[in-house]
Amino acid sequence: MLDQTPQQPLVSIENLRVEFDGESGPIVGVKDVSFTVNPGETVCVVGESGSGKSVTSLSLLRLVEFGGGRIVSGRLWFRPGEGEAIDLAQMPAEKMIDLRGDRIGMIFQEPMTALNPVFTIGRQLTDGLRRHRGLPASEADARAIELLREVRLPEPERRLRQYPHELSGGMRQRVVIAMAMACRPQLLIADEPTTALDVTIQAEILGLIKRLKREFGMAVLFITHDMAVVAQLADRVVVMRHGEKVEDGPVERIFADPQADYTKALLASVPKLGEMRGKLAPEPLRIPGAPEPAAQKPASRSETGRAVLSVKGLTTRFPVKGGLLRRVVANVHAVENVSFELGHGETLALVGESGCGKSTTARSILRLVEPTSGDVVMDGQDILGLDAGGLRRARRNMQMVFQDPFASLNPFMRLRKQVAEPILNFDLARGSELDDRIAFLFDRVGLPRDFMRRFPHELSGGQRQRVAIARALSVNPKLIIADEAVSALDVSVQAQVLNLLMELQAEFGLSYLFISHDMAVVERVSHRVGVMYLGRIVEIGSRADIFEDPRHSYTRALLAGVPIADPTKRTLKESIEFKPLPSPVFPVGEARPAPVYEEVAPGHFVLGNE
Amino acid sequence: MAYLVNRLMSVALTLFLISIVTFGITNILPGDVAMMIMGTQSNPEALEGLRQSLGLNDPLLVQYGRWIGGMLSGNWGESLLFNEPIAPLIAQKVLASGLIVVMTMMMALAFAIPLGVWAARHRDRWQDTTSSTVALLGLSMPDFFIGIMLILLFAAGLGWLPSSGFVDPAEDFLGAVRHAFMPSLALALGLMAHLTRMTRSAMMGILNQEFIRVARAKGLPERTVVWGYALPNAIGPVMTVAGLQIGYLFGSIIVIESLFSYTGMGWLTYQALLNRDIPLIQSTIFVIAAVVMLVNLAVDLLYRVIDPRIRLG
Repeated sequence: MLDQTPQQPLVSIENLRVEFDGESGPIVGVKDVSFTVNPGETVCVVGESGSGKSVTSLSLLRLVEFGGGRIVSGRLWFRPGEGEAIDLAQMPAEKMIDLRGDRIGMIFQEPMTALNPVFTIGRQLTDGLRRHRGLPASEADARAIELLREVRLPEPERRLRQYPHELSGGMRQRVVIAMAMACRPQLLIADEPTTALDVTIQAEILGLIKRLKREFGMAVLFITHDMAVVAQLADRVVVMRHGEKVEDGPVERIFADPQADYTKALLASVPKLGEMRGKLAPEPLRIPGAPEPAAQKPASRSETGRAVLSVKGLTTRFPVKGGLLRRVVANVHAVENVSFELGHGETLALVGESGCGKSTTARSILRLVEPTSGDVVMDGQDILGLDAGGLRRARRNMQMVFQDPFASLNPFMRLRKQVAEPILNFDLARGSELDDRIAFLFDRVGLPRDFMRRFPHELSGGQRQRVAIARALSVNPKLIIADEAVSALDVSVQAQVLNLLMELQAEFGLSYLFISHDMAVVERVSHRVGVMYLGRIVEIGSRADIFEDPRHSYTRALLAGVPIADPTKRTLKESIEFKPLPSPVFPVGEARPAPVYEEVAPGHFVLGNE
Repeated sequence: MAYLVNRLMSVALTLFLISIVTFGITNILPGDVAMMIMGTQSNPEALEGLRQSLGLNDPLLVQYGRWIGGMLSGNWGESLLFNEPIAPLIAQKVLASGLIVVMTMMMALAFAIPLGVWAARHRDRWQDTTSSTVALLGLSMPDFFIGIMLILLFAAGLGWLPSSGFVDPAEDFLGAVRHAFMPSLALALGLMAHLTRMTRSAMMGILNQEFIRVARAKGLPERTVVWGYALPNAIGPVMTVAGLQIGYLFGSIIVIESLFSYTGMGWLTYQALLNRDIPLIQSTIFVIAAVVMLVNLAVDLLYRVIDPRIRLG
């Protein structure tokens, strides 16, 4: 493999094949994958779930063996320091542990679980240093403080004595990066390091990785499913699917002139922020190979003159209990004086980062949690004033689609029964009428009819979400609340489900309350958008108002944090400092001032008092 | 601090309820203390006189008040069977059984934790099956049967250990341990199964966590990852189960101590029940309940020391 080009690759993966033990013979996780990573280069491996991208990266550290995988064939050349390349695939396990964390560092997806909860940050930062460098405790501590400064974590001395649960997700990911950087690795493997983070924090972390890479001349192998992140970060891209490499090349070429059909489809499935500029209505994504989608109608609220859903001053607080008698010592102000209206056939998106109260707003409307105060009027009916029976009947008109299709379907029930259950519950159809209705619903959400007899575990995530949508549709609701309904899906599946939702809206005149953290998706699907921050709506208006003329500083920060799926528009800033989120916990009896909104344009309101 | 006060209050409340139950049951049972003292064939007038002097004709509430007042002030009355004050008698027996309980737990954990860790590291392979089989073998045999087998092996066969009896640990600690060894082992083999399964499932959950992968990615040796990183996270649930088993242990101890003629709390309770020594029954049950609860309190407090999330949360 020793080619005589001036720059020899740091990593050269040749014909890698990884298998896992399955019940009926081996399952191939990666088959015949080859690519190289040069010193100081960022290579992004992009693909959807099951593409083998994580398995490839875990193989490089030989961690795949701990998950039951086996490197069957292929070579994993790695060039430590200035020396000769060594084949990691053939390394004895006891030598491999000397390389791990020393020459090659790795960071993972879930910052919330990446740190050992029972040890201090200091101990976890220094154990690699003590292991590889044999540093005494005092020197290791000094180095740990230095590392925390490098990742821009404030008050590093105090952090060393803290435990992981005392840190937020963004802070923990910084600690994890500091840990991986401890021994100045030549290669940093990052496996979806920002997928679990909010956009503004994602922007911080991506900027950090970019800066560290430049400062220390380190190569980065970045695993992701997110084409926008790829566009912002990569020098070169490797596209993977079903355990095989689809194509690779420089990032500009991959985006400007993709060769493989799969890459084209993948790029087409990604909603790009800003591409809806100047359009009046939501628009389905154009997926190559799929039929041309029908155009959407603009919202028709003005036609009927009455809102389907009207929310006024909705407030939901959760008590924080403490002390000897478990008395309420404070309140979490999850939803604070939220008001909006949703028209017939309209989609209102509520966007914001985790903890902003968008999901609690949705649950409060359905009274899945009891709101503290406010008014919710659905189709002329006062929801908060209903008794249990009335609420049950009212819920027929408002159905919900949840985020996790793996958890929202009963694993013991056949799919037909899951979709039939709401119909039987409200006694809407029986016998052959019921059969027809269910068959119609399965057809409508694009599932084969023979799926009716299946159980949820036999379906993929996207298929399950279609079942959840069919179940929500089964009672002919007027309103569907979709709480991060496409967040857990792969991009190509996400695009299909988004298109399905838009088609169903056009066909049945449904109103959607669309809860999401993903600004690009929201831009695609919504007529109007409300931006939430710390339990309040800080800005609400038409899609064009919010995306083309954002007024509130938080809306602007949110939009600035969204990576754009275009390598020629790189917006990552290396110097974004850590910004802690203010707490939504207030003392008992704390009266928050009522929000005052300024109408900057017709229908476009911005919070004036904080 | 608030937590500790809360827990102590709940312990006090539970003890109060237990005191009512024990007092109530012994009063509902046929035959009273007077009849126990004088025998069933005694003169009804003399019996009535004794009842009067023992206060057995007072309203139940008054009797309960007198009894609980005595319990709280350390005056636990006299055993009818042994004709001596109950408090010092129980104190001595609690110490004797305490040795067995501690040794049982140490042995059970010493077997169960490595076995459970081993099973978790090799889940669904032969090691896992072996570990479950070993653990279930202990569980499926009654502990008195294991006790008899141990006597046949270690006492009758090899002659290494005394087959029965009790030595006061204050006088001869090694002798006490030798006498407590077989009863403890018999009990430990029974307890081991639950603890092994608990260790296995807790470790399996922890070993799948991301921080374990992170520890491996740092280049830490597998030994450190499993024993140093994973086990401290898995030990909490195991200890909780161990604490709950102390309660069962006092049930098994009655049989085992009788089998080995080991004169501890179990033996004392058995004698008290057999001879309808009502004051002694009340006190032993009350003490056992208190010990079980205090041990569980101690476990929960220890849990807080181990896990910083609970400590600070």
